[in-house]
Amino acid sequence: MLAITVANIKMMARNRQGLFWALVFPLLLVTVFGLFDFRGVTPAGLAVADFSGGFKAELLRERLAGVAFLDTEELEPEAPGALAEARQRLADGDLGYLLLIPPGLDDPAAENLAGAVEPVTLVYATRNPERNQLVEGAVHSLVIELRSDGQPVLPQRLVASEVIETPEVDYFDTVLLGLLGLGIMTNSIISIAVRISVYRNQAVLKRLLVTPLPVWKFFAGEIAAHLLLAMAQALIILGVGVLVFGASIPGNLGWSLVIVLLGAVVFLNIGFILSAWARSPAAASGMGNAVALPMMFLAGTFFSTASLPWLLPYAALALPLTPMLDALRAVAINGASLWETWPQLAALAGWAVATAAVAVRVFRFS
Amino acid sequence: MAGDYAVQVVELVKRYGDVAAVDGLSFAVGRGEIFGLLGPNGAGKTTTLEIIEGLQRPDSGRVRVLGLDGAAQGREIKARIGVMLQASSYYEYLSLAEVLSLLGGFYPRRLPPGELLELVGLADKARRRVRQLSGGERQRFALAASLVNDPELVILDEPSAGLDPLSRRELWGLVRRVRERGATVIVTTHYMEEAEESCDRLAIINHGRLLAEGSPRELINRIVSAEGGAAYAVKLVTAGPLTGAQLDVLGRCAIAAPIADGNTCLMRLSSHPAALQDLLDEAGRSGVVLEQLEITPVTLEDVFIELTRG
Repeated sequence: MLAITVANIKMMARNRQGLFWALVFPLLLVTVFGLFDFRGVTPAGLAVADFSGGFKAELLRERLAGVAFLDTEELEPEAPGALAEARQRLADGDLGYLLLIPPGLDDPAAENLAGAVEPVTLVYATRNPERNQLVEGAVHSLVIELRSDGQPVLPQRLVASEVIETPEVDYFDTVLLGLLGLGIMTNSIISIAVRISVYRNQAVLKRLLVTPLPVWKFFAGEIAAHLLLAMAQALIILGVGVLVFGASIPGNLGWSLVIVLLGAVVFLNIGFILSAWARSPAAASGMGNAVALPMMFLAGTFFSTASLPWLLPYAALALPLTPMLDALRAVAINGASLWETWPQLAALAGWAVATAAVAVRVFRFS
Repeated sequence: MAGDYAVQVVELVKRYGDVAAVDGLSFAVGRGEIFGLLGPNGAGKTTTLEIIEGLQRPDSGRVRVLGLDGAAQGREIKARIGVMLQASSYYEYLSLAEVLSLLGGFYPRRLPPGELLELVGLADKARRRVRQLSGGERQRFALAASLVNDPELVILDEPSAGLDPLSRRELWGLVRRVRERGATVIVTTHYMEEAEESCDRLAIINHGRLLAEGSPRELINRIVSAEGGAAYAVKLVTAGPLTGAQLDVLGRCAIAAPIADGNTCLMRLSSHPAALQDLLDEAGRSGVVLEQLEITPVTLEDVFIELTRG
């Protein structure tokens, strides 16, 4: 079996063109995404909790709603858990900012004694420093304008900042892991489907069948070689993303690779299944793309699937790439441990078992 | 007794839907023989070989290979035989030596790639890829690949198909060398000359049934004596296609009905000295314009055509 694996790796390495595209295609995408500056474009969500309810608070809310790069939403401050939930969303990166307007903003007694009142509090995560400065500046100037009546005041008395420390994560990091999943998926599915199809067309499979080689060893050799290729691919994609484009992957690399391997097994099985249906290598390649490309969009490779219309987010949950990417992002970006992602791993394992069962049923040698 | 045979095929039947590809076929191959399996396209040769190789299961009947039961001991059989399929290729990105050592690794007993390549005259191409070989070299390599496990039985399905005459001679030379090394060889071919020259014994089959079995000489003699001592095969090439009446006239001079195809007509004549004279007289009288006349001893090809026609 080792001999077959080694021979398979040799063949992959010599198929320069095939190998080149397997490794370079995801890297091209990494480059394209790496060259964008996402910090400038993503609008930030701002949740406002108004404890004052007064005229000035309303004015502040209106002004904030007018800021182009902020999507404001109102929180019901008295609702139990509303604030805690908003803080959690901040920590998770689902919300950009939380603004707490104190009761004292519209208290006439406090108006001339700026230092004595509670300041407006802006809560944000460390995730996006440039944007944070921008938003902080905007809030400052709006509050000062409302509160100072033209008098010079110390801004820090009026606006307090509460900073939630989060690992440095930006959109590129998220996309990099999406691209990693994409690369593993397309390469595993298409490479296996095409290879097996070529073997069958050239009667290589038949030639192997007249030897006493047990069939499982043939499959094991193919799978082992492709898993090694998947590992190499993962390391190259992450390496280029981190070293060239400055992505940060604070999580455990080993756990991430375990997830990559589990996902690769699922996609290899899918490749075996497609190869059984494809009558030619060209058909195998087309079928591989037909399976991989919709999955790429539905599984949230580039965008959050939350923005998909209607039932599609639920459909996306049923695809194998979705749990793979979720688990990868949780482990690699948010520093989760492997067992914290057990629901995703269980989904992947289920896919692996189901696709293997189908592959064994439908596979044909000639 | 079974031990004396390399292969015994008994009452073999294999159906594809309504069509019986192999229909009650029985024959036996002695150890150390070069055994030719002959028949027209679609006669069931490849199916029969694939059953012996363990690639297919028969619907009924029995196969014993090297004293082993084909149905129950498939893996042991595979370990001890070598197979050259009709159209198989090898891994595209491996060199000849690498393919041979990979294949050899599947067997408990193996020959070194260098020795195999030496045997088939490809030692200097050990580092080449299969697709860089010429047609003749490719077939020689496929033969070498069928020998990786130093097999006791080698099955070659049309090894010389599509080769130029020189390459065919080389290949058959190799087949004979394989037998000299002690292996039994089963081979299919459409070239009757080659079979007559190289095979110790033959089976001619059609529609999955055995038509004749024996040495090339025996088969030729059998037809000759069955026809009361036919001595010659005659081939006439005429200026135009023969009419039915002309064919009848000529047929009266010949043993067995003539086989006409366009401007050529094949027939066999008795050894009687007057037979040829009669034929020429009749031809002239019925207005047949002869362009060419070929008289040869009866060959295996005549036997094959006689057995498989109609």
